[in-house]
This record gives sequence, C-alpha cells and structure tokens, in this order.
Amino acid sequence: MPSDFDKDAYPEPPRQTPVVDKKTALPNPALILSKLFYYSVDLPVTTFREVVESIQAKNKSVYYHQKFRRVPDLTQCEYGDYLCYYEAEMQWRRDYKVDQEIVKVIQERLRACQQREGHSYKQNCSKEIEQFDEVSKNYTSRYGDLGAYASGRKCLMKQKERMMEAAQKQND
Amino acid sequence: MVGMSLLRSVAAIAARLTPVKSGNAATNLLVRTIPRTEKVAVRWGHGKKMFVIKPTEFYDKRFLRLLQFYILLTGIPVAIIVTSVNLFIGEAELVETPEGYEPEHWEYYKHPITRWITRNVFDSPVKDYEKMMAAIQIEKEKADMRLAQLEVRRHMRRRGDGPWFQIETLDKNLIDSSPKATPDN
Repeated sequence: MPSDFDKDAYPEPPRQTPVVDKKTALPNPALILSKLFYYSVDLPVTTFREVVESIQAKNKSVYYHQKFRRVPDLTQCEYGDYLCYYEAEMQWRRDYKVDQEIVKVIQERLRACQQREGHSYKQNCSKEIEQFDEVSKNYTSRYGDLGAYASGRKCLMKQKERMMEAAQKQND
Repeated sequence: MVGMSLLRSVAAIAARLTPVKSGNAATNLLVRTIPRTEKVAVRWGHGKKMFVIKPTEFYDKRFLRLLQFYILLTGIPVAIIVTSVNLFIGEAELVETPEGYEPEHWEYYKHPITRWITRNVFDSPVKDYEKMMAAIQIEKEKADMRLAQLEVRRHMRRRGDGPWFQIETLDKNLIDSSPKATPDN
C-alpha cells in the first residue's frame, strides 16, 4: 500500500473551520451526510484495514535501500578497457534513473502546490515554479535528446558539444 | 429442494384424498397425477408461435466456453494466491541499513512475490554483473588475440620466414653436387 506523503514537503494551510454557532433547531444536512459517509464507508474500510494489518504484523519483513559504490567514469577509463567502459556505463544508467526520479519529485511538488493554491498558483507557488524550471532546464541540457538508446558515451559527446558551444560563445 | 418434494408429495396425497373438481385452484399448480383436459394452465401462452431460424451458435458458444475454462483454469489459482499473499503477507517496510550488515540481494525489494522470485528463480544482480563482465573479458581477450595474430602474420610474411609462412624453394635433392668439368656451372 502506498505510504502517506511527506507532511513537511507539502504543508497544509492552517484550518479555518469556524466555531459551530447553531441559530436554528433544524438538523444540519452536512453533518448528517458526513456521519452517513463515516458509518457506511469510512468505518468498514478502516476496520478491514486494521484487521488486515493485524494479520500482516505477524509476518513483517523489511527492505533496504541499495547504495552503489562509485566507479571510475568514462573519462577516466583507458582506451580499450572494455570492463571499465561497462562499469562506467552501468553507473551512468543508475545516475540517469536517479535524475529522472529527481525531476519527478520536483514535478510532484509543483503539482501539489498548484492543487493547494487553486487559481492563485502562479503567484503563491513561485518558489516551486522556479525550482521546477531550473531542474527541467538542467535535465534537458544534460539528457535532452539522447533518445531511447541513450548511453554514457552519447551523453559525453553531448557534453562536449555543449562545452564547444560555450567556448565558441566566449570567443565571439 | 427437499421442501419442494415434500410439498409435492403432500399435494399428491391431498389430490388423492379430495376428489378433484375442475375449478380447484389450489391444487392446480402441484398435481401431476391427475391430468385434466378441460382447462389446462398455459403459461406464456400469448402471441403467434414462431419457429425461429437462425445460424448455429454452437461453435461460437463452444469457443467462448472453452476460452473461459482455460483462462480461469490458471486465472483463479493465480488470483487466489496473489490475494492471499497481499492480505496475509504484507509488503516490506523501508528501514535504514544497520551498521556492518550486508543485506541479501532479495532484501532490496518490497513486494513479497518479487522477493520470492529474486530469491529462488533469478540470479543475484551482482552475479549477473559479474557474468556480463566475464563475457566482456572473454570477448576482449578474443579480440586482442585476433589483433595479435594479424600482427604476427604480417611480421612473418614481411620477413618471409616463420612457422606460418615460408617461401617455397627448390628441393635440395635436385641439386647435383657431383664434381663438374668446368668451375662455373
């Protein structure tokens, strides 16, 4: 089951429910509906979940986050050292995946911010928007048009092109 | 079901005991022993009777029946297994790696079925990595050996001499080394 989101990353605004001040003797339909929903949907679902969790608590297992050692890069490999090439390529692929996940997290933050703020998101989420712009610009400049058969070599060549353009621009 | 047959037997007994008259509505439904020809209850009895001629559905129905059977033959056990695994053995929780502990390769996955598969069916990723590296090493050695062979061949052919390349000369038995009449033969 998916875990709850990180409450510090997506802070909720402070609640503004007013104090109940009943002026009529009529029953409150919102209260009736919410109680109906609670007893018909919320309570059965929660009890089922608790039952299932109590059964699962007996066979609880854990999993860990795998940390990989850093190996020499493609630029640090001797010419013709195919083993070094392979290890550098694998490391590059892992880094590619990590960068994709980073972009996804930033996107998720922006989406959450927009959902929270509603119509005034352009003004209130400026920090998230700026973060997202920077991250996506860096991602496209590094991995942009590499395509489906991307490899560490092609990425290195793209970097070389970028550096050549920067040097060209500096010379002009 | 048992109640129905009991009811029927009671109705049959009641029919035998009380003489049946035509208008006896209560026993109309349950009596089978005494057929009556005057007023027969006709159900669904309105509308013109049609003999519907349509193409056979036998083959289509048979196909769908067999399809359903063979899909459910493995589908139902798989569904039961997956549901019970998800209900009774939950997914794993993410924890920090304790100091000095090297987790087994299956302990990096969350779902219990994935863990089982990587534990019992697949090789560990480290082993796969090493297998790939071994293959690369073998291919590298083969390529190096081929290059070296070409190099050696080139050297031998240039020198004209070597185990792989000889320039054919005449057979020494053809040389006549008997003393000649003149010195410049």
